[in-house]
Order: sequence, then structure tokens, then C-alpha cells
Amino acid sequence: MSPVLQAPESGHYTSMSLGGCAPADPVSDPPRWKKILYKRQPFPDNYVDKSFLEELRKNIYVRRYSYWAVVFESAMVIQQLCSVCSFSVVWWYMDQDLLSPQKLCGVGLAITLLGYLLFDAVDKGSGRKECGRTRWDDLKSSLVFIAFTYGFSPVLKTLTESISTDTIYAMSVLMLIGHLVFFDYGANAAVVSSTMSINMAIFASVCLASRLPRSLHAFTMVTFAIQIFALWPSLQRKLRAYTPGIYICVTFVFALFSVAGLLSISGVGALLFSILLISVAFLCPYCLIRLQLFKDNIHGPWDEAVIKEDLSRFYD
Amino acid sequence: MVHSRREGSGTCSHRNSVRTPETAHAPLRTHSICMVSDFFYPNMGGVESHIYQLSQCLIERGHKVIIVTHAYRDRKGIRYLTNGLKVYYLPLQVMYNQSTATTLLHSLPLLRYIFVRERVSVVHSHSSFSAMAHDALFHAKTLGLHTVFTDHSLFGFADVSSVLTNKLLTVSLCDTNHIICVSYTSKENTVLRAALDPQIVSVIPNAVDPTDFTPDLQKEKTNKITIVVVSRLVYRKGVDLLGGIIHELCQKYPELHFLIGGEGPKRIILEEVRERYQLHDRVRLLGALEHHQVRDVLVEGEIFLNTSLTEAFCMAIVEAASCGLQVVTTRVGGIPEVLPDNFIILCEPSVRSLCTGLEKAIHQLRAGTLPNPETIHNTVKTFYTWRNVAERTERVYDRVSKETVLPMNERLERLVNHCGGVTGLIFALFVIISFLFLVFLRWTTPDYLIDVAVDASGPNAAWPQHNCRKKPRKKLTMKK
Repeated sequence: MSPVLQAPESGHYTSMSLGGCAPADPVSDPPRWKKILYKRQPFPDNYVDKSFLEELRKNIYVRRYSYWAVVFESAMVIQQLCSVCSFSVVWWYMDQDLLSPQKLCGVGLAITLLGYLLFDAVDKGSGRKECGRTRWDDLKSSLVFIAFTYGFSPVLKTLTESISTDTIYAMSVLMLIGHLVFFDYGANAAVVSSTMSINMAIFASVCLASRLPRSLHAFTMVTFAIQIFALWPSLQRKLRAYTPGIYICVTFVFALFSVAGLLSISGVGALLFSILLISVAFLCPYCLIRLQLFKDNIHGPWDEAVIKEDLSRFYD
Repeated sequence: MVHSRREGSGTCSHRNSVRTPETAHAPLRTHSICMVSDFFYPNMGGVESHIYQLSQCLIERGHKVIIVTHAYRDRKGIRYLTNGLKVYYLPLQVMYNQSTATTLLHSLPLLRYIFVRERVSVVHSHSSFSAMAHDALFHAKTLGLHTVFTDHSLFGFADVSSVLTNKLLTVSLCDTNHIICVSYTSKENTVLRAALDPQIVSVIPNAVDPTDFTPDLQKEKTNKITIVVVSRLVYRKGVDLLGGIIHELCQKYPELHFLIGGEGPKRIILEEVRERYQLHDRVRLLGALEHHQVRDVLVEGEIFLNTSLTEAFCMAIVEAASCGLQVVTTRVGGIPEVLPDNFIILCEPSVRSLCTGLEKAIHQLRAGTLPNPETIHNTVKTFYTWRNVAERTERVYDRVSKETVLPMNERLERLVNHCGGVTGLIFALFVIISFLFLVFLRWTTPDYLIDVAVDASGPNAAWPQHNCRKKPRKKLTMKK
């Protein structure tokens, strides 16, 4: 009979002769357990060595955040919220015929030109040299865009006539929220998609533009949407990278203007919006840092390995 | 049975394995074991062959073993495999990846019927990916049977899906009598995932059949060097790395060839690399391999490459080493535990590190400093044998059968205390419902009305003796 099976203690395995392993020398030190499977060791199968879970690592990828750095990062979200807010305010003014399209067009053009100059001035033309785009290219694409939008604005005007206004509003709200969700705030996440984000914003602007009184209004609205949702964020990014101080000031001024604009329409709205902005800017970073304390992330040799190299050079 | 064993015509599929004094003795008491898993033949894989080989060796040791799995297309009902291994293919709906759907209740009538008619004493479930395995554990506990669970895979903690799966595993294992893992790393992983007491987790490695994986002694010596890869071509097996390695090394060594067996969604990557660098004559993609073809593919090469990103045990490298190949592999999961350092070159999971490892192997091969394939085979075949696995598993059964199954009130208490307030309560509710369902079933069909099945294996086996001499391997290849 196997000595194992006759062993009186039933709780633990007491086998000393698993398979062909040589019995340990009684004189020398007791055998050390090794984390190997190919050699039969004089330990029971459910033996728990003191090195058990030795390789367990906790929270190795935790980042230490500093409060003001997170606040700085939140400026990007603030900017985007303000963009959506200003866009809506401008649309409301246009809808009420309080703002003439000519005026908006003029101001928009002036600010865009200023931004265009700034865009090159901020990095002293190094970005332009890198991507190799000439001014002629820029002019061409903007002309093409303006011509097409202008040409199609009567179509835009009548495009959604058969759809109820409520549906249009609901759709625009949904699309603008989608724009905020999918926008590339610099996070490396699966939901981030700048194409999707910009498309949703343009869709919302087309929807809203179609409810404006005349086709010139529609044209101005779509152009303004491009300026605020496509051109403005790229300038922002440059400002952020090269002149962070100015970037914060610009964000602050922009936020003030948006709240003021909203205040001229609805006091409650402005109050709620400013609460939102303040909580995003100051409360959320605080929560993020506080919640880091509760992080309990375990890593060990069982983790699936991550390929760190860039393998794309082999495949494309 | 005893007679045939003593003669050495082993019924386990490896006939020439090393005999230990214990294997010649019949165990003190025999168990009636029911193996449950969604994964069994005709499906192919590590879990499937583990269940089959383990069952065969347990039958050889005098236990009664039955297997319960779900129906595979026209393979349904009861089938008998070699040595009276009875397999129930149950008509349950397959949901995803050969795993059945689970409601925790619907399979109770069927499983209860089987457990009663086969007079099962231990329910042994396999693989945490199998819903049926968890269902069976759940019902077995309701029926008051002893439960054992074998975990074959590793799982992370980082994403939502693993958080949910780990929670379910916690629920499933909190009142299971004993858990078996295939490597120490896998044990650590399971203990953490299911919040278990490490004392109730045993480590029993997988095994390979060394008679199936022998080196080719008639092989001619040529200048050509072949690197063999046999794995499913999926992301987790590191096929992306493989593409990079092929490109790097084929540029450097003109006499180098790659032989790749296996199929999967990432095959396209390898085809792309082959196309792009014009390597059609040097990189051969063989597609899916049958189990019996693997050896013939392995012996065509000199170096075996494994690029897995996660692996609990990795049978493939043991099989390759058993065929006498030099193994180059990533250092992930339980792999460093599997083979001693002189048979294995461990690398980091990156193209550069793996290339360095492969170059080292190539230089050794050219210099002739690699160990002789036969020496490797003779050493490796002593490492892992199914008889040893069966013997150690039997010890788990012995231990488990002396333990008490938690009564209803303690089980509910354990669930609520161990699995967290919300989950624990939800599953406690399920336990109560399944208990009431069982009471109802016992009322409609009392246990004494269920026919007791004729045993095909075990001490009262009605199976004729001469069938024991058939080789199980033949049976398996026939089925595919």
C-alpha cells in the first residue's frame, strides 16, 4: 500500500516519495521548495511556500498627479464645453434675428485670419515646414470649402424641412453631446475618435442651420461651426504646447465670454453652466486625486504580456 | 485490471512511462468520478486531452469515471470510449466559443439524473471558461456531492471583462472542496482571482504522452535549419511577434526556414510578411493540424519557437522538447516552471529578445553544442506522465471525500460573507431557487425511480477485459 494513503493525517498530504524523486538527505538542511514543475519535490501538492505571491506587485502603473497639473489638463474640456456653449448662443441670436449673418461672417473672417497668423507665429513656422503645406494649399482648400458651402446653402436650408423641429433639436443636442464625448482630449482610450467628434459637430450645425431664416444664415452658421469646432481646437493645441500661460488666459477669457453670452439669454442657464465649468476645472481634479488612494491594481507573472515594440514597420 | 497492470500492458496511453512503486497498487478506496466540461473531443485542445488522459489513468487505477459534455453536432447521447470511458453528450445550447449558455438552473434536471444514475461521488469540473463546468459545480453542491475544479488558464485583473469573470469564479469556487491548478503561477492567479485559501489549491501539472512525441532518429543532417511553430494563430499566442521575427531572421540567415502549423485569425499577418519579403520557399504555413500530425511536423525542425503572451502551463514546449527540439520561448505565465534551463531559452516578449534567443540556439546548433535529441527525449519523458497526474489527482479525491459538503445554511452564509453583499445575496437567492427546484424534481421523480446505470469502468465494471488492451490513441484519431 502506498505510504501516502496510509498516512493518518488526512488534512494534508504527507507524501515524501512522489514518483521517482530521491528522498532528501536527513542530515543536511531540509530541502528548499523551488518554483518548478519538472522535478518532483518532497512537498505536498497543496504546499504553500513562504515565497507564495512574492512576485505580486501592486499599483505599479499608478501615476502621481499634482493638483494644478490636472487643473491645467482640464482646460481642454473647459474649452470644448465653452465652444459648444458659444455655438449654441450664436445660433440662438441668429435664429432670433438679433445677429446679422454679415456681421458674424465679418467677425469670424477677421478672427480666423488673426488665428491663422498666430498659428504660424506661435511655433515660428516649424510646424508648417514639417508638414510641408504651402499657403497656396491653405487658400485653395478654404476657397473650395467656402464655394461649396455657399453653393449648397440653399439646399441646406430646405434639407430638413420635412423633419419636425423638435426632432432637429433633439438630434442636435445628441450630436453635440457626442462631439464632447468622442473629442480627443489627449486621453488614450478606445472611445476617442476625432473624426467622429468633428462629424457629429458638423452634423449638429447642419441641423441647426436648416432652421435659420435664410440661406445666407445657414452658410454663416456652417462656416462658424467649422471655425469653432475644427480650426479653433488646432490653434488651441499649439498654444497649449508652446505658450501654456497664454493658453490658460485665453481659456479663462473664452469661458467668461461664453458665460456672459449665455447670461444674456438665460440667467439660470448661465449659473448652471458656470457651476459645471467650475466643477470640471477644480472639483473633478480633486476627486481624481482623492480616488487614487483607493486604487488597488494587482500585477504578477500571470499578466498577459504586452508587446511594447512598434511592429507596424514589418506590416505596412 | 490489476493483473493487466502488473503485466505492464498499461491502459494509460503512454505505455513506456516510468513506473513508480505506488502505481502498481490499487488505491484504498475507489471513487465514482464525473468529469464535466464543455470542452471534450471531438473538440481539440489542451483541456480536452487532459480530461481524456486523466480519465484513462484513473480508470486504470480502478476508479469509475464518466465524462459529461455538451453535444457536438451529431455527436449526442451516450458514447463509450476506450476502456469503458462513458461520455454523455448533453443537448444543451452552445452559446459562444463552444461554451454553453448558463442560467444556473436549466441543466439541473439532466445533471441530477446523471449524477444519481451513475452514483457519482465526486464531481470534477474543468476550465473556468466552461459554463457547464460551473453549472455542474453549482448543482453538485446543491445535491451534496464533493466537488473539485481544475483551472487551466490564466486571467488578468485589469479590464471589465476580467473583473466580471473573476467575480463569477469567486462565487463558483467559494464553496468548492478543492481546486487544482496546472502550475504555481496559475495557482497564485487563481487564489487571487477567486479569493481562496491557498491550502485548498493543489498544483498538478499537465502531462504529455512521451510515446506520441519521439525524436526522428533517421533524420538526415543537412545545412538547412528549420524553426517550427505550432500554435493557434491568435493574438494571445504572439503571432504579431512571429511576423517580425520571420522578417528579421530570414534576412540574416539564408539557410533558415520556418514551418508553422496552426490556424487562426492572425494567419493573415504571416501571409502578409511572406508575401512582402518574398519568402514563399522558406516560410511554410501548414494550416490546422490534427493531433497525430503534430509529432511529424515537430521532428522536421531543430528549434521550436513559442511566442505566447500568456500561458498557464504550455504543453506545446514539453511536446517539442520531448521530440528533441531546442525550445525558445517567451518568459510568460508558468513557462519558466515547466522545463529546466538547459532545455529552454527564455526570452522577453519582444522581437529583439526572441531573435537574440533564436540566434543563440542557431549558433549552438551550428557549433554542435546542443544536446542530442534522444538525450533530451529521455530526460523530458520522465518529467510529466499522466500516471503521475492521475495519482496526485486521486490523492485530491481521497482528501475531498473525507471532507463534508457544506450544508445549505453554511453555504448561504459562505456566499454572502465571501462574495460581497450584492453578488453574494443574488447567488444565495439562486442557491435557494435551485434547492427548491431540486425538491420539486425529487418529488416528481424520486431518486429510487431513477435506473442505476451499468458501470462501464470502476470496481463493478461490466466491460469485457480484453478491450483494455486497445490503444486509446487510435480511437482518438478516428473520431476527428
